[in-house]
Amino acid sequence: MLEARSAQAQTAPSIRSRIIELFVNGERYEVVVKPRNSLVEVLREKIGLTGVKHGCEQGACGVCTVLLDDRPVLGCLTLAVECDGKRVRTVEGLAQGDRLSPIQQAFLDQGAVQCGYCTAGMLMSATALLERNPKPSVAEIKKALEGNICRCTGYNAIVAAVQQASGQGVEPVMR
Amino acid sequence: MILYDFEYERARSLPEAAAMLARLGPNAKIMGGGTDLLPNMRLALARPTTIIGLSGIRPEAPRLTLDGRLRIDGLTTLAALAHSELVATHLPMLAESAQVVGSHQVREMGTLAGNLCQETRCLQLNQKHDYQFKSPCYKRGGACCYPFPRNRPGTCWSVHMSDIAPALIALNADIETVSGTGGRRLAVEDMFTGDGMHPIGLEPGELIRAIVTPLPPANFGWGYHKSSRRGGFEYGMAVIAIALSLDVSRQVCAAARIVFGAIRERPVRASATEQALVGQRIDDTLVARAVAVAVEEVNPLPHHGFTRSYLIDNIRVYLRRALVRAVERARTQSAAT
Amino acid sequence: MTELSHVGKSFRRKDGPDKVTGRAAYSEDIKLPGTLIGRVLRSPHPHARIARIDATAALALPGVKAVITVDDTKGIRHGFVETPRYPPDQEVLARGRAVYVGEEIAAVAAVDHLTAQRALELIEVEYEPLPAVFDPIEAMKPDAPQIHPSHPKVASEVPYSNIGGRTTAEWGDVEEGFAQADYVREDRFESHLRTHGYLEPHATIAHWENDRLNVWTSSMGTFIKRAKLARTLDLPYSAVRVHKVYVGGTFGGKIDLYSHEYCAARLSMITRRPVRIVASREEIFSAYRHGQPLAMELKTGVKKDGTIVAQQIRVINNSGAFRGSGVVVIFLAWGFTMIPYRIPNLKYEGLSVYTNYPVRAPQRGHGCPQIRFAIESQLDAIAEHLGIDPVTIRLRNAREPWEALPNGDNVHEAGLIDCIRVAAEKSNIGERYGRGRKASGTIRRGIGMGVSGYFGGSLIYPNGSGVIVKMNDDGTATVLTGGIDVGQGSETIICQIVAEELSLDFDDVKVVASDTDATPQDIGAWISGMTYVTGNAARQAAGTARRKMLDLVAARFNVAVETLTVQDKVVFNRHNPPQRMSYRDIVAYSIATQRGDTILGEGFWRTMRDEPTHPSLATTKGRWSENYAFSCQVAEVEVDIETGEAKLLKALTVHDCGFPINPALVKGQIDGQVSMALGHAFLEEIMTKDGFTLNPTWLDYRMPTIHEMAASDDADVITEQYVVGKPYRTKEVGEGLVSGILAAIANAIYDATGVRLTSTPFTPDKILKGLRKLERERRGKN
Repeated sequence: MLEARSAQAQTAPSIRSRIIELFVNGERYEVVVKPRNSLVEVLREKIGLTGVKHGCEQGACGVCTVLLDDRPVLGCLTLAVECDGKRVRTVEGLAQGDRLSPIQQAFLDQGAVQCGYCTAGMLMSATALLERNPKPSVAEIKKALEGNICRCTGYNAIVAAVQQASGQGVEPVMR
Repeated sequence: MILYDFEYERARSLPEAAAMLARLGPNAKIMGGGTDLLPNMRLALARPTTIIGLSGIRPEAPRLTLDGRLRIDGLTTLAALAHSELVATHLPMLAESAQVVGSHQVREMGTLAGNLCQETRCLQLNQKHDYQFKSPCYKRGGACCYPFPRNRPGTCWSVHMSDIAPALIALNADIETVSGTGGRRLAVEDMFTGDGMHPIGLEPGELIRAIVTPLPPANFGWGYHKSSRRGGFEYGMAVIAIALSLDVSRQVCAAARIVFGAIRERPVRASATEQALVGQRIDDTLVARAVAVAVEEVNPLPHHGFTRSYLIDNIRVYLRRALVRAVERARTQSAAT
Repeated sequence: MTELSHVGKSFRRKDGPDKVTGRAAYSEDIKLPGTLIGRVLRSPHPHARIARIDATAALALPGVKAVITVDDTKGIRHGFVETPRYPPDQEVLARGRAVYVGEEIAAVAAVDHLTAQRALELIEVEYEPLPAVFDPIEAMKPDAPQIHPSHPKVASEVPYSNIGGRTTAEWGDVEEGFAQADYVREDRFESHLRTHGYLEPHATIAHWENDRLNVWTSSMGTFIKRAKLARTLDLPYSAVRVHKVYVGGTFGGKIDLYSHEYCAARLSMITRRPVRIVASREEIFSAYRHGQPLAMELKTGVKKDGTIVAQQIRVINNSGAFRGSGVVVIFLAWGFTMIPYRIPNLKYEGLSVYTNYPVRAPQRGHGCPQIRFAIESQLDAIAEHLGIDPVTIRLRNAREPWEALPNGDNVHEAGLIDCIRVAAEKSNIGERYGRGRKASGTIRRGIGMGVSGYFGGSLIYPNGSGVIVKMNDDGTATVLTGGIDVGQGSETIICQIVAEELSLDFDDVKVVASDTDATPQDIGAWISGMTYVTGNAARQAAGTARRKMLDLVAARFNVAVETLTVQDKVVFNRHNPPQRMSYRDIVAYSIATQRGDTILGEGFWRTMRDEPTHPSLATTKGRWSENYAFSCQVAEVEVDIETGEAKLLKALTVHDCGFPINPALVKGQIDGQVSMALGHAFLEEIMTKDGFTLNPTWLDYRMPTIHEMAASDDADVITEQYVVGKPYRTKEVGEGLVSGILAAIANAIYDATGVRLTSTPFTPDKILKGLRKLERERRGKN
């Protein structure tokens, strides 16, 4: 039996915040967090990186995908306190100055961006895929991106973008 | 967003975690990847005052033990399990079952032990209750059941959705636990209570250290299917895991373990179906008979919008196909397929 | 004729770089100091009297800054439709009675999320549950619980309860038509409850400061939000500024006023601090507005060559607890019936029925997917009975260019016949249909066709679009447009048009968009008309600026304007090239010699320029659109006949959008609509019971993942053209292409299995039941 929801939680002693260290997109941050703060909350509210999106908090849409020590994880289901000392990469860290990464450029070239809300998470999942598997098959692309929902594109252009970025013979369709 | 404050402590080893649990009592919970616990905390289905994080403990790599079993650390991530060469070589069904869980991100985060110990699920349960289904149901400590209003107090028909537990049970796996008072070994099959109110039969403060699986015998074949509406990112409608072995002639079934998951409060063995197979010559007629027995024997709960009759229709076809595949594999004994 | 430089080319999105780098700011990304967190208290009952609300304990909680109920509002109503016949019927918070689970009862603003949650829990509400009704047929009965009295005009026409609105249309004589027909067929179809599924949740931040309200909200049009907020808050429009934000998907679900927007604004006015309200995914699935489930009865009579003679249609909409867009969808179901095929005799009735559910919203197609699914399925059945193939029967009935429509509109260069021919040829459906059922094995393939038509840019508030083009004195241009980009690419399209008209490079054109202070009024992104209406306004504005510049140069060199050519931002005399001025020079010259004229171009456009207003929703009379789009789509499906599982393998979309301004953006719209159609067909369903939503999560409301992706092919039938300096006609492409695929999928499933499904979604359960029925019938025959 699950614990009944109690409205009395606030009588519990106040929980102390703690300081954690995060390396986000190559920069070191010290942030004050409470255990209940998710990585998404900390990235967006405390560090100011709003490229990480907040979509459902159920772990079921993928827009909050970030790379934690190079692994794609759901920021909404990751507690910030568990990331102390870890490396985090978000969409803001993909470009080198003004130079977009190949996958970012490919998303633009293929029309894989429409409303853009799934884009950050999708790019992080795609980046993780290409770092491990430089020439993924369509089946491998699908398996790597199955946790990122898109409502606008139907995914066709997204698959093409990953193929373009991995040099698999897909030419840009937009210029 | 989790709307209450809790403490967090990090364990450096499993025995330390067990000791913390013993010290902190029933309001403390361990957390592996957090993919089951944190959504439940957000929905106020779980309200631990302290979370003991296990992510600082590096799991051992899967390995073969001296007595010829495969030993997998409970904290192995599902992604690591799915991609382990050792597991793929010796227990491809286990690798397959790990590969179909959730999504890529969930597999990177979730642990094997966590997958087994996940809470049971039901549509009315796993959502916020600010205004929908506000009065708590039995599982939430209240006085009703929404999907099955005629259920008596204390009867909960929420479903255990693990994709991996059926495979492990079919493979006759054990878990090895650790607790403040030591630890024990028990079959994976025996860690589930079948009671939706308390689905996991571990003692308070008892943690899974490892999963230990015998290697398949000769003439072994497996069949596995997770029924779902989409190609990924779902819990199953039904999960079927079959492990069977043939005799030396490869015509007669020597042993069979058939397990269904995601249809009841716990993974269930289809014992009558197994008995219909064991000792019999395997041909299409036998397979058909076994499926007929299974359809009678299995008693799926309607869950997550699927009707009982549809689940049975689905199981009827996929059980047959998985059985046929298992037999094929046993006959060709190609463990890698 | 010079070749076009920008229009018709697939330029990369203007907002693309912002989106792929995370710079794009959506409503929830806007940060203002001192922001309070707002939450809405929602009804746990589908129908209940509110006896008492006591917020004392909530207000006393430290950190709670304000609590509002309906008594803290001005009591001004709003609605999706606001006409004399259908006046606004919704208040922003419940007054005296809750009429659906999730209805907004009160709202709080607090310093953080935990305090806001606690505050909600401390508001005491005493409810007295009332009998509720969920099925429209039940709700129409005389003894049904009354949610609202039936519309007085309707109550005098038909004896039903809970009628929010009724649409009737009739021409010819259907009884005579049926009598003359060689074959008459009656069928009933049902389309189920499904929802938009935008990835960005509803999010609003409102800040009342210096007697002005600043709002950032996820929407389909900032001007309609301004109007509705201002009116319900009893403020002049000029006191409300709705800012530009990026928008993460809408599909019809973010048009008119949502309670949380009002609440954020009102709470800010009380607290004088910014208030942010973001809906949770559970709230969106259970309390926000979904698409309209329609029950459709079709009776169609044809000649033996398949020509439609008469059609009688009745549509019933499960409207939810207020009128919402329900009274529009029953009008549109008529519209989408009469656009593609000739129907000499028609009798149509649509009823929008109140039920104890949240009010509905348009969902991409707004009735078109539902009614085309019904009509196209029945037409295939008719064709089979007559021994005619699916292509021939459609060609026989398809409207031809320049046909007059029964409502007085004209289809202009309608490309439907070409769409059908091209679709037939590319898919080879003529050779392939009818084979799936004869195959053996467990996997069957089927092919099906669906025809659809759509309208564009009709008159609905704000009705018209204005655009201003400003020349900058470095020779570049900035466009001010109220048009909002919700993902469809409107900013890109507008820049392409301006770049074309002004012979500028794409990068020389910048856009300032969708800010109710800084940009002109715009029709918004939900009426499928931005490319046509706002685009023509942009063309006009750019053309005006161009004209001014050319006139200046012509005057300076004393030559005719026709001798001037523009290249690389330089205007020169074709016959005497040294007579030249760069754009930069022209602007300086204009300021110097024209009393400071900085060169602005103003443009505006509206559809139906000679019509005062939109057609009557109740009688369908009146001109509707000058802009009809057509399509023919083909679906190839695969069905496992043992499990009933079906999937869409391939979609072909042949469409007449006039001409594409940006072909890649058009392709993006098509791919997205194919995905939505397959979701509608196979996967998505909002499951409800007794007014409660059972599956308010992404896990159980199954939208297509990447695994469900279908191959999506398309072809344009070009029926219009773009000429610099002249008005153009494009036709919509963002909504109407869900319908044909949905219909084609239904027909393809029949082709594969012989099972004719008359209700969505096409679940394995239904397919299996259909197959078993066929098997029984086969056995019965033998």
